Amino acid sequence: MHMADALLSPAVAVTMYAASGAAAAVSLKQLKMDDDVKRLPVMAVTSALVFAGQMINYTIPGTGSSGHLCGGMMLSALLGPQAGFLSMITILAIQCLFFADGGLMALGANVWNMAFYGCFVGYYLIWRPILHSNLFSGMEQRKTIRARIILASIIGCVVTLQLGAFSVVLETSLSGITELPFGAFMALMQPIHLAIGLVEGLITAAVLVFVYESRPELLREVEDMEHHDGKRTLKTTVAILAALAVVVGGGLSLLASSNPDGLEWALFGNAEAGYAENMGLDEEDFGVKSGIADAAASIQEATSFLPDYAFPDSESAAGTTVSGLVGSAIVAGVAVLISMLGGFFRKKNAKQH
Amino acid sequence: MDQIGASLRELHEMDELALRRSPVHGLCPLCKLIVTVTFIVTVVSFPKNALTALVPMALYPVLLFQLSGIPVSACFRKLRLVLPLVLAVGLLNPFFDRAPLLRVGEVTLTGGMISMITLMVKGVLCLTAAFLLAATTPIDALCAALRRIRVPETMVTLLLLTYRYVGVLAEEAAVMTDAYSLRAPGQKGIHISAWGSFLGQLLLRSMDRAEELYAAMLLRGYHGAYPHAGTKPCVPKDAAYALCCVAVFLLLRRYDLARLLGSLFVR
Amino acid sequence: MIEMEHVSFAYETGEPVLNDITVSVGDGESVGLIGANGAGKSTLMKVMLGLLPHEGRLTVDGLEVEKNNLAAVRRSLGFVLQNSDNQMFMPTVYEDMIFAPLNYGLSREEAERKADAVLERLGLTKLKNRYNHKISGGEKRMAAIATILVMEPKAVLMDEPTSALDPYNRRVVINAVRELRQTKLIASHDLDMIRDACDRVLLLSGGRIVADGPADTILRDRALLEAHRLELPLSLQNRTSNSALGQQSGKHRTASKRI
Repeated sequence: MHMADALLSPAVAVTMYAASGAAAAVSLKQLKMDDDVKRLPVMAVTSALVFAGQMINYTIPGTGSSGHLCGGMMLSALLGPQAGFLSMITILAIQCLFFADGGLMALGANVWNMAFYGCFVGYYLIWRPILHSNLFSGMEQRKTIRARIILASIIGCVVTLQLGAFSVVLETSLSGITELPFGAFMALMQPIHLAIGLVEGLITAAVLVFVYESRPELLREVEDMEHHDGKRTLKTTVAILAALAVVVGGGLSLLASSNPDGLEWALFGNAEAGYAENMGLDEEDFGVKSGIADAAASIQEATSFLPDYAFPDSESAAGTTVSGLVGSAIVAGVAVLISMLGGFFRKKNAKQH
Repeated sequence: MDQIGASLRELHEMDELALRRSPVHGLCPLCKLIVTVTFIVTVVSFPKNALTALVPMALYPVLLFQLSGIPVSACFRKLRLVLPLVLAVGLLNPFFDRAPLLRVGEVTLTGGMISMITLMVKGVLCLTAAFLLAATTPIDALCAALRRIRVPETMVTLLLLTYRYVGVLAEEAAVMTDAYSLRAPGQKGIHISAWGSFLGQLLLRSMDRAEELYAAMLLRGYHGAYPHAGTKPCVPKDAAYALCCVAVFLLLRRYDLARLLGSLFVR
Repeated sequence: MIEMEHVSFAYETGEPVLNDITVSVGDGESVGLIGANGAGKSTLMKVMLGLLPHEGRLTVDGLEVEKNNLAAVRRSLGFVLQNSDNQMFMPTVYEDMIFAPLNYGLSREEAERKADAVLERLGLTKLKNRYNHKISGGEKRMAAIATILVMEPKAVLMDEPTSALDPYNRRVVINAVRELRQTKLIASHDLDMIRDACDRVLLLSGGRIVADGPADTILRDRALLEAHRLELPLSLQNRTSNSALGQQSGKHRTASKRI
C-alpha cells in the first residue's frame, strides 16, 4: 500500500503531512517520553523487529503466493496505540529516507494510511473493545482470551487495511492523478486489500497468541482484562457488529468480483485485458456519474491550488506537441552526453590512482 | 526463500553507497534534503499531460548520478515497492481517456496514453531523486538535517536506534529462516503452522535484547536525553547549490524547455 | 573497590540466584569470575551495577549501591556486555564513544578528545567513523571495550570478553585487558584467558562463592574445577590423561581459601 510521490498532488500531500504530524505530536505529548526513559529502547527494538518481520515470507496455504506483515495492529497491541504509532512512523520514515522505499512527499499520506488506522482505530475501536467484551466467555479463561486475540487481530487488520485502501483511493482521486472513476478504483483496491488484510490478520493473531501463551505480561490489555472481565456494553457490541459487517461485506464483494486473489493478478493480468469489462461493469456509466464521484470531483476542484489539476480536456491539454517531442529528444541527447562524459572522467580518474 | 538475505544486502549496499566520496556526498545534508523535496514537489506539480515539459527535469538525476558515481542499477530495484500502485492507477488511463491528443505519422496518441506515461515518468523521477538523497547521505548526517528542521529529538533518536537494530534483527531473522528452510526443503516461506512461533520467538528475544540495551544505555549515563555528534555547518557552496537547483526547477516548471528547444527546429 | 557482605538476590518467584555472598575486591586487583552456566556470574555483575536489587550490604568505591548513588556507582564501574551489538547502540563507533562522556556533562570537544585518545591507545583509530553493523566481530568487541574505557571508570567488569572470537582477535582482546590499569572483574568460561589476565579467581557455583584464591592455585585444582562442572584450562591439561567430566573426587586438595 506504499504510495509513491507521483500519486499525490502537493496540496493533498501537505494536508496528509499535517494530519499525520498532528497525530504524532499528540502521541508524543501523551506518552511523556521523558518520564519513562526505558520506553525509547523498547520502541526502537520493537520497530526494528517489525521491520525485520516485513522481510519474512509467509506462505499462504493452498496458493503459490505469500503474505506480508504491515505491523500497525501488532505494535499497538504490544506498545499501546501512541507508542505503536510513533514506531510505525519510524519504520516508514526509515524506509523512505534511508532506502528510498516509499515516497518522500508521500510519507505523510503513508503514515496516515498504514499507521494511523492500524494503531488508533485498530486499538480503540477493535482491539480493546473485543478483548474487554464477553465474547467466547463460556470457555476456560485462557481459551477465551486466545479466541478474542485471534478475532481482534483479524478484524483489526482487515478493517484498518480497508480504511487504508480507501484512503489511498481518496487521496489519489483528490489529487486528480487518475482517469479511473472513483467507484471503479475502489472496486479495484478494496477486495485486494481484503485478502491482504486477512493474511496479515492471521499472522498478527498467530504472533500475539504466541506472545500471550509465553509472556502474557507483554500484552497491555490482557493484564487489566484479567482483573475485570466480561463487561460488555451496548457500544462495544455495536462496534464489533459493525466491524464484522465490514469484513463480511468485503468478503462478499471479493466473491462477487470473481477475482480469486493476489495483487499481481489484479494489477497486471487483468489490467491489460481491460479491467472494466472483466468486472462486468459498463465503463460509460460506472462510477463517473455516482454521487460520490461528483462530490469527490467538486471537493477536488475546491481544494486543488494548481488549476491544471482540474482534469483538463484532452484537447486543450497543456504540453504534448510535436515541438515538445523534438525538444525532449534533444534533452535526452544531452543526458546521454552527460552520462558519457561522467563515465569518461571517472575512467580517467581511476587510471590516475 | 532468501528474501531476507537480499534485503540485508540491499541494506548494506545503501550504507556503502552513502559512505563513498564525491562532490555530491560532500554537500550539506540539509541542502540536499531541501533540493530533493523541491524537485519532487515540482515534478508532481506538472500537469498530467505535460509529458515533454517534464523531460528536462530528468537532467537533474542524470547529472547527480554522474557526479556522485552511484550506479543506476541500484536504484531500479527500488521501483518494485512503489511502482505497483502507480502502474495500477496509470495503466487504466488509456481505457478511460481515449480522446486523441497527438498524431505522429500513423500513430495516434490518446490523452490516456500520454497521462499514463507522464504518471510513470513522474513516479520514476521522484523515486530516483529520493534514492539519490539516501545513497549520497549517511544516516547520521540525514538525522542531523532532520534535527535542524525541528523534527522532535525523540523521533530522531528513535530513528537512529531503530536503524541500528534493523540490521541486527534482520540478521537474526535470516539465520532463523535458514534454519527453518534446512528442515523444510521445498517450502517457499514460513508455513502457517509456524507463523506465530517464528516471529514470536524473535519478538521475545528482541524484548530481552531491549532490556539489555536499556541496561547498556543506563550504565553509560543515559537519563532520557540523547547526546548527538556535531554536524557540519552549511557553507556558502552548499547554499549556492540549493539556490541554483531550486531556481532551475522553478524555471523548468514555468517554461517548457523541451518545446522551446524543439520550436527552434520545427515550425 | 567492591565490598559485598551477605549479598543475596532472588527473582520474585524462584530459587535465590545469589546466596549470601561475601567478597572484597581491592583497588587494582584483576579477578576472574568462573563457574558453570547458571552459576550466577552475570547476575553478580548486574547486582554490583545496581541493575538488579539485592539484600545485604554492597558498596562500590565506598558508595552504597542504592537508588540515589546509582549514577556515581555506574560512573566508577564500566561494564562490557557479552553481546557487543547490545552495547553499541549508536550507528557509528564514534557516536557510541562519545555517548557516555556527553551524558556525564563533558563538552563536545572534551568528549571527542577523550574518544580519540582511547581509540589511539587501543589502535582502533581506523574504526572511528565506521558503522557498528559493518565492523567484524573482533573489531566490535574491541570497540565495545573502547566505549567503556572512554568513561575512565575506576573498575571494569567484563562478561565473556573473548567469546566467539578467533584466536587472533582473542589474543588482541586479552592483551588489551592485561594492559588495563583499572580494577578488573572478568566473568568467563575461557579459563586460559582468566589464567593469562587475572591474579585472583572466584569460583561461583549455585549462587555461592565456593572458592576464592590465587588464579594459579584454583585453576590447577582439577578436582575442585570438575566438582563444579569445569575443566582444567587447556594449557594445563596433560595430553595423556584427558580430564573426565563426572568423575568427581570428593577431596579437594587445594591451598585456596574455601568458603
